Amino acid sequence: MRIDWWTLGLQAINLLVLMWILSRFLFRPIAQIIAQRQAAADSILNEAKSAQEKAEAAEQQAHKMADDAAAARQGLIDAATGEAEKEKQALLSAARAEADTLRNTARKEAERIRQSEAALAEDRASRLAVDITARLFERLPPEARIDGFIDGLADGLVKLPQTTRDELGAAGSRVTLKASRALSKAEEQSIHTALTKALGRDLAFTVAIDPSLIAGLEIETEHAAVRNSFRNDLNRVVHTLTERGDSKDA
Amino acid sequence: MTRSPLILEPLFMIGPVPITRPVVTTWAIMAVLTLFGLLLRAHLANRPGKLQSAAELVTEAIDHQISEVLQRDPAPYRALVGTVFLFILVANWSSLMPGTEPPTATLETDAALALIVLASTIWFGIRVQGVAGYFATFAQPSWAMIPLNLLEQITRAFSMIVRLFGNIMSGVFVVGIVLSLAGLLVPIPLMALDLLTGAVQAYIFAILSCVFIGAAVNGENDPPQDEHRKWDTT
Repeated sequence: MRIDWWTLGLQAINLLVLMWILSRFLFRPIAQIIAQRQAAADSILNEAKSAQEKAEAAEQQAHKMADDAAAARQGLIDAATGEAEKEKQALLSAARAEADTLRNTARKEAERIRQSEAALAEDRASRLAVDITARLFERLPPEARIDGFIDGLADGLVKLPQTTRDELGAAGSRVTLKASRALSKAEEQSIHTALTKALGRDLAFTVAIDPSLIAGLEIETEHAAVRNSFRNDLNRVVHTLTERGDSKDA
Repeated sequence: MTRSPLILEPLFMIGPVPITRPVVTTWAIMAVLTLFGLLLRAHLANRPGKLQSAAELVTEAIDHQISEVLQRDPAPYRALVGTVFLFILVANWSSLMPGTEPPTATLETDAALALIVLASTIWFGIRVQGVAGYFATFAQPSWAMIPLNLLEQITRAFSMIVRLFGNIMSGVFVVGIVLSLAGLLVPIPLMALDLLTGAVQAYIFAILSCVFIGAAVNGENDPPQDEHRKWDTT
């Protein structure tokens, strides 16, 4: 066995040179490019992380804006609802007031119409009663339309207050005696006798014909009236019936 | 008949210096690796191609092995370990070239490699621990161990030489014998086996270099705790 020291030395030198060459032209550039790539990857990861954080912040901001918008919308809805409720209440109040006014007006109008109709009915009833009574009295003898009412007229004079009685025919004045037809001399004499007896003194009168009395007699002065006629009785009956109808309606 | 691998005959002379076949083959390997390095450096990009990816894979594997063994930053040791690994690998596989004998099949080349590793061990040990600190490790665990530790430095370098030389030389020798006896295609399985053996031997030599350097820089291969933490995080 023999060691070639020249070869050993040359190989050692060769290996050292190779070590320098590979270190300079292979390992170091590769390590640098790996480090650069790692740094670039780290930078990209950091940028991605930063972008992610920004995106998350933007998302949170968007959520917050959406919540604020929802709250504002709800506030507007509540305000509009309150305003609409107020408006509704005001409209309802106005409508109720207007309805009450219309109802009161209608009620008054109905009352007026009812009263008008009642008056018309009363008038018609009076006319009908007068017509019926007049036709009935046409079947009686003409004396019955005067004689039967003389005593009643005298009783009416008796029931007058004393002062009113004293004023009748005072100072030679004449009172008006209404009759449904012209009186005969005998009928005038009978009436004069009955009136004189009722007053206790003589009473001068002037006869006035009023066919609307139907039958009966009436005395009228400036301050008093004594009525004893069918017209007066019918008017009283109709008025009484009308008052009863009103009380029932009420 | 195959000549003895223990005897080197000079191919030519440069002055008084005899230039033997392993030296010429080593120059060729150096030229190839240099050309490869220059081409790769010229085409380095952040988006690597296939060749760059392969080179980065090898470089990162070397860094990973250094970090695993030394528990330190691999940068100061990358050139030594990487060069040892690549040179031995390419040298071992150079036997595939017809008429080429791997330089690692000679004792001189293996001895040069082992001497460089031994010198690097001493250099890194002194640089990390200082002169006194490094030589104090020879007295561990006691002064009585100094002769044995010194002897260990020599014997483990010698073991590296013999291991690499024996494996590669035997492969070349067997292939030569089979080729001379059987014919042209018969040694192919043995050559394929030599590829595996060559890769394994390159890995073993590089790892043993890391282990020896680690023992020198860490003191009996016991790395500091802060260095553990440093590399655990990477």
